[in-house]
Amino acid sequence: MSAVPVIHVVDDDPLFRRGVGRLLQAAGYQVALYDSGHQLMQCAGLSGLACILLDLQMAKLDGLELQQRLKCGGCTLPIVFLTGHGDIPASVKAIKAGAEDFLTKPVSRGILVDAVENALARRRRQLDERDRIDALRSLVAALTPRERQVFFLVVRGKMNKQIAFELGTSERTIKAHRHAIMVKLNVRSVAAAVSIAERLGMLA
Amino acid sequence: VKVEGRGRFFNRRDRLRLSFALLLELGRRGGVSFSAAIFVLAVAHGAMAAAPKRVLLLHSFGPDLEEEDTFAGYLRTDLADKSPVPLDLYELSLDAARLSEAKQDSAFVDYIRALLAGRSPDLVITMADPAAGFAQRHRQDLFASTPIIFGLIEEPRARELILTTNDTVVSDSYDVPAVMENIFRILPATTTVAVVIGNTPIEKSWLKGFIRDIQPFERRAKFTYFNEMSFEDMLKKAAQLPPLSAIMYAGVSVDARGIPHEQNEVLGRLHAAAHVPIFGLYDYQLGRGILGGPLNSFRELSQKTTDAAANILQGASPSDIKTPPLRPGAPEYDWRELRRWGIADANLPPNSMVKFREPTPWEKYRWQILVAAAVLLGQAAAIGWLLLERRRRRAAELESQRRVLEVIHLNRTAAAGALSASIAHELNQPLGAIQSNADAAELLLAASPLDMDQLRDALADIQFATERAAEIILNICKLLRQRSEVEADEFDLNDAIADAARILDPEARERGVTLETAGVKEPLPVRADRVQLEQVILNLAVNGMDAMSGVAPDRRKLTIQTGLVGKDNVEVSVADCGVGVPREKLEEVFGMVYSTKQLGTGLGLSISRTIVEMHGGKIWAENREGGGALFRFTLPLAHAP
Repeated sequence: MSAVPVIHVVDDDPLFRRGVGRLLQAAGYQVALYDSGHQLMQCAGLSGLACILLDLQMAKLDGLELQQRLKCGGCTLPIVFLTGHGDIPASVKAIKAGAEDFLTKPVSRGILVDAVENALARRRRQLDERDRIDALRSLVAALTPRERQVFFLVVRGKMNKQIAFELGTSERTIKAHRHAIMVKLNVRSVAAAVSIAERLGMLA
Repeated sequence: VKVEGRGRFFNRRDRLRLSFALLLELGRRGGVSFSAAIFVLAVAHGAMAAAPKRVLLLHSFGPDLEEEDTFAGYLRTDLADKSPVPLDLYELSLDAARLSEAKQDSAFVDYIRALLAGRSPDLVITMADPAAGFAQRHRQDLFASTPIIFGLIEEPRARELILTTNDTVVSDSYDVPAVMENIFRILPATTTVAVVIGNTPIEKSWLKGFIRDIQPFERRAKFTYFNEMSFEDMLKKAAQLPPLSAIMYAGVSVDARGIPHEQNEVLGRLHAAAHVPIFGLYDYQLGRGILGGPLNSFRELSQKTTDAAANILQGASPSDIKTPPLRPGAPEYDWRELRRWGIADANLPPNSMVKFREPTPWEKYRWQILVAAAVLLGQAAAIGWLLLERRRRRAAELESQRRVLEVIHLNRTAAAGALSASIAHELNQPLGAIQSNADAAELLLAASPLDMDQLRDALADIQFATERAAEIILNICKLLRQRSEVEADEFDLNDAIADAARILDPEARERGVTLETAGVKEPLPVRADRVQLEQVILNLAVNGMDAMSGVAPDRRKLTIQTGLVGKDNVEVSVADCGVGVPREKLEEVFGMVYSTKQLGTGLGLSISRTIVEMHGGKIWAENREGGGALFRFTLPLAHAP
């Protein structure tokens, strides 16, 4: 992960936008500037190690609404809100909706950079988690359909006999599948296998 | 000669003069040195039932002696008025002033005898000393059985008369010492007294008496006598008298040069010439120039003489009629002379009478003055009251204007308060920009190599942001400044609307309202208080935004528009897309304390109306066809665009 983090700055006040952009750039980030939420939405590259710096009050599409739209659109980039004045209801709403932080203008470099760093750290964790899950998902994907059926029932705590009965086969066959699964998933205990299934959301 | 009518003596003097001239001429031609005049005057009593009584008035001097002339005038009137019987009046003068000796008595006796023609008169009244002497001398040959009244004769001389039973005396008595006392009483500083008197024998004899009476007073003042000189010299001398002098006027019938003088004029001319007060002896002189004092009353003397005559004509015995000598009465003064010589009433003797008092304007026009004064006073009071009222009203107006300004200011601070959140946000934008740029600059300086372009841009942005912050603060200060009076300036209404829009813009953004300004592009000069006009626009705009809080965000639109109405007025309208105003409340909204908001003061529209009307405009509300309210106000243009 050597790529420079990207900060997406959305503010309809060009003066402020330029100032923050200049600061973040000087602080070593890559900066993308947008004068409205719509402009941000049209941008395709909202992925990777990045976060969004969002002005709460904007004329056409305000910050909270943009937050909702991004969430719906599947964008998971952390959002740091900036506001001209500390409006408590708005901040609560934003935090509940998953905002990373809520800053008031004017904001000092330290606070801004801390907030951005926190957001990026979370983004990093997010990305790591996603990588891990992707690895697990590829392990599970390597199972044969039969093995996947057996796995599905094993992680739900079924005994070999029950599984063999459900699948209409012999207990020996199940044992062989079960061994192959453990090898393919690189786990030694049933508990570890259950953990993988849980993380991939297969237990719901 | 009989003249019909009672008491008519017109042209008496002229006729007398004519007779004298005639007689003098006759005398000269005939070598007879006498002169006489006789008049027959009838006093008729209506139908004249009884035969009139014949009365002979025997003058000594005729019109030459002022005293006698005046007395005779009074006596004629009194006789005519009071006689119980009709009278046939004869008058005869001895002309003693000109004929100094009584030598011509016989000729005169003949003349009278011829005149009376045997009919002796019923009564003879002599006047003054010479006539009395003549009557005494010829008592037997002329008036043997006729009663005689010796009138107009001074007391010491009266006592020398030898009276028969057919005679009576009506005398008077001078009181020269009293006259002198009077002079020194009211003018104590007098140093010189000039005695003015003629030079006839009788006047000479009077003068003798005067000098005797005056002697005791010679220590108090210097006395000079104007007798042995012409009247013109008398006037000259009188004019040259030093101050603190006085004149005692005893009458001038004929002066030292033998020129008789028109008696009525003598005192008047003396009065005109002299620069000092004049004192006299007789009451008839009062009012002709004398100052006054104890005076012998000729009116009274004439009445007493008339009374005696009436008694005798009714059959009384003359010797039974005793008339005490007439003495000077209570002092009398001429008010005008007192004024002229500055003599206060307090200096006059007690019981004195002041005559010829000119009524003061106050006495003359008392009512007119009172009414005029009352009217003036009333007017003055009314004017004063009005002035006071005006002052009070002005003070009240000022006070009320001050109050209105205070309320307007309160409304403005309230409006500013409502906008404060968005204003703070607005201010934080440039502040945030400044902060970020400063921080960036700090980092840029620490980097190497220096990125000079970025640094320059950062500093430029800081300057730009500072200007913007200052501008925002200035606008707020303008809005919040407390003013003690309306400040009228001429400005372009479009500029004021742009200012207001700038203040409103952040609020509109925060509320998701689209704010638009539209209308006339050319300048709209108005003369008004700019801040107050902006306040009206703010009030209307904030109301509009409030009205749209329940409307879908994409429909929230507020339009501020200008337009010309005719040539002289401009109209500003603020249109919203909100809920509108209930029809019946379109007027009520401008009333006091109308509010639909929980936090509003309810004063906004009321104050807006006050401000607009103060500037000579009108404000009203309408509902838009497509929904929403429209507030309009007009203002007079400063001059046609």
